[in-house]
Amino acid sequence: MRLPRLDRPHPRPIPEREVQPQERYEDELIMSLERDQFVAETSRPLPRAALSRGVVAALWGLRIFVTVVGAMVVYTFVYQLH
Amino acid sequence: MATTMATELAHSPPLARPPLSEEDSARSQDRARVERARTHSKRWRLLWLLVGPGILAMLGENDGPSMIAYAADGAQYGLGMFVPFIPVLFAMAFVCQEMCMRIGAVTHRGYGELVLQRFGRAWGWFGAIDLSLTNLVTLIAEFVAIRVGLAFFHLGPGVAVALGLVLVMFTLSGGRYWRWERIVLGMALFNGLFLVSAILAEPDLGQIARSSEFVSGSGGSFNTLLLLVASTVGATVTPWMIFFQQSASADKGMTPRDLGHGRWDTALGAVLATIFGLGALVVGATLLTHDGAGIQGFAGAGFPQALEHIAGRASALTFALGLIEAGAVAILTISASTAYAAGECIGVSHSFNTSPRNAAVFYTANVLGALVAGAIILIPGAPLLSIALNANVLATVLLPVSLTFMVMLANDRLLMGRWVNGRLINAIGISVIAFVAICGTAYGVDSFLQSVHVIAG
Repeated sequence: MRLPRLDRPHPRPIPEREVQPQERYEDELIMSLERDQFVAETSRPLPRAALSRGVVAALWGLRIFVTVVGAMVVYTFVYQLH
Repeated sequence: MATTMATELAHSPPLARPPLSEEDSARSQDRARVERARTHSKRWRLLWLLVGPGILAMLGENDGPSMIAYAADGAQYGLGMFVPFIPVLFAMAFVCQEMCMRIGAVTHRGYGELVLQRFGRAWGWFGAIDLSLTNLVTLIAEFVAIRVGLAFFHLGPGVAVALGLVLVMFTLSGGRYWRWERIVLGMALFNGLFLVSAILAEPDLGQIARSSEFVSGSGGSFNTLLLLVASTVGATVTPWMIFFQQSASADKGMTPRDLGHGRWDTALGAVLATIFGLGALVVGATLLTHDGAGIQGFAGAGFPQALEHIAGRASALTFALGLIEAGAVAILTISASTAYAAGECIGVSHSFNTSPRNAAVFYTANVLGALVAGAIILIPGAPLLSIALNANVLATVLLPVSLTFMVMLANDRLLMGRWVNGRLINAIGISVIAFVAICGTAYGVDSFLQSVHVIAG
C-alpha cells in the first residue's frame, strides 16, 4: 500500500477566518459544562461505599421487610381476584 | 465527587479538552443558554430554562390512579381528614424530591447508577427490578385511567392504548432532552383541569365540611380506610419519582449553581400538584353530599358519569379530560424513569440527548414498558380495576427501600461534598421513611390477615 504524498499542498487550504468562529463557538459550548459533567467523566465507575456492620444488618432487615410485606400485598391482590 | 472536582481542575492541564460525545454536545447547548441568562441577570429567563424535572415529577405523580384515589377519598370520607393530609404528603414529597434533584445536580449521575456503584450490584438490581415492577403495574393503571376518561366520550380501550403509544413515540422522536421536557411540561399543565372541574361542580364547601365526619363516611371499613391512606401516600411519593427526578436533573445538565432554581422548580411542582389534587378531592366530595356509593363504584368507569348526574356535564367532561391528561403525562414520565433505570443499571447510554441509534437500550425500555402495559389492558376480562387500586399500595410497600438509599446517597460525603443533608432534612427524611413503611405495613398485614381469615373483614 502506498502512503499519500505529503509534499503536495491541500487543493484548497482552509482559510483561518472560516475555522476560528466555529472553534470558538465549540469552545464556548464546552465551557458551559462542568468538567465532571462530560460523559467521559460520568462513565468512570465510583468506588464501593464502606458500610458498617450495623448499616449492612439494617439493609438486610429492610430487604426482608420489603419481601415479606410485598408478598402479603401480592397474595391479597391474587386472593381478591377470586 | 463535588469535593474532588476542584482538586482535579487544579491539577489538570489548562487546555485539556475532554472527548466530546453527542450527548455532551447537545447538553452544552442547553447549558450555554443557562449561562447566558445568568450572565445577563435575566432571572425569569433563567427560571424558565431551569424548571422541568421538579414540576414533571410532581405533576406526573398526580396521575390517573392518584386522582381517582383523591376523588375516592373525597367521595368516601369528605374533605375532613384529607384536606390537611394531601398538603402534608406533598410537603413530604418536596423534601424527598429536593434530595433527588440535589444528588443529580451535584453528582451528574442517576439514582440507579449511584446505588449500583456505591452499594453493589445486588441492591442496584433490586432497586431496578422493584422499579420496573411497580412501573409496569402503574403504567397499566395509567392506561386504565385514560380508558376511563375516553369511555366518557364513547371511545374504547384500543384508542387509549394507541394514544399512549403514539405520545411515547412522538416525544422520543427529537433526540433532545430539552424538547422532550418542554412537550411533557406543556401537557402536564393540563393537570389543572381537575381544579376547573372542581370549580364547575360548584361544591357547597360548608355542607361538605359539615357532612365529613371522618368515620361516618359511607361504607368505610378499617381496611378500606387503610387502603385509602396507603394508596394516597403511594399517590404522592413513589419510587419512579426518585429515579426520574435525579436522572432528569443530571440529564438536563443541572449543576450545584442551579440548586436554588431546582428547589423552586420542585416547590412549584409540589404546590401545583397539591392544588390540583385538592381539586380532585373536592370533585369527589360533591358525590358524598349526594349519598354517593362506595369506593369500588367510583374508582371504575362510572366516576365521570356519576359526576355528570350530580355536578353537570361541564364538570364531568373536564374531569374525564383530566384523567386522560393525567394518564398520558404519567405514561411519559414513568416510561422515562424505567428507561433511565435500565440504561444506568446495564451501564449503557441513558440520555434523551443521545440518538436512538446510540442509546438503543434506553429508547427500547422507554417504549417497551408502555407497550406491555397497553397490551395487558386489551386482554378481555383482565382485572384492571383491582390493578388500578393496588398499584399505589404496592408502590408504598416498596418505597422504603428507594427512600433509604436516597437518604444514604444524600449523606454520602464523597459524592456530595458540602451539599450533604443537614440534620433537619435527615430527621424529616427518616420520619418519612418510617411513616411510609408503617402505612404500607398496616394495609399489607391487615389485608393479608383478612384474606387468610385470621381476622374478620
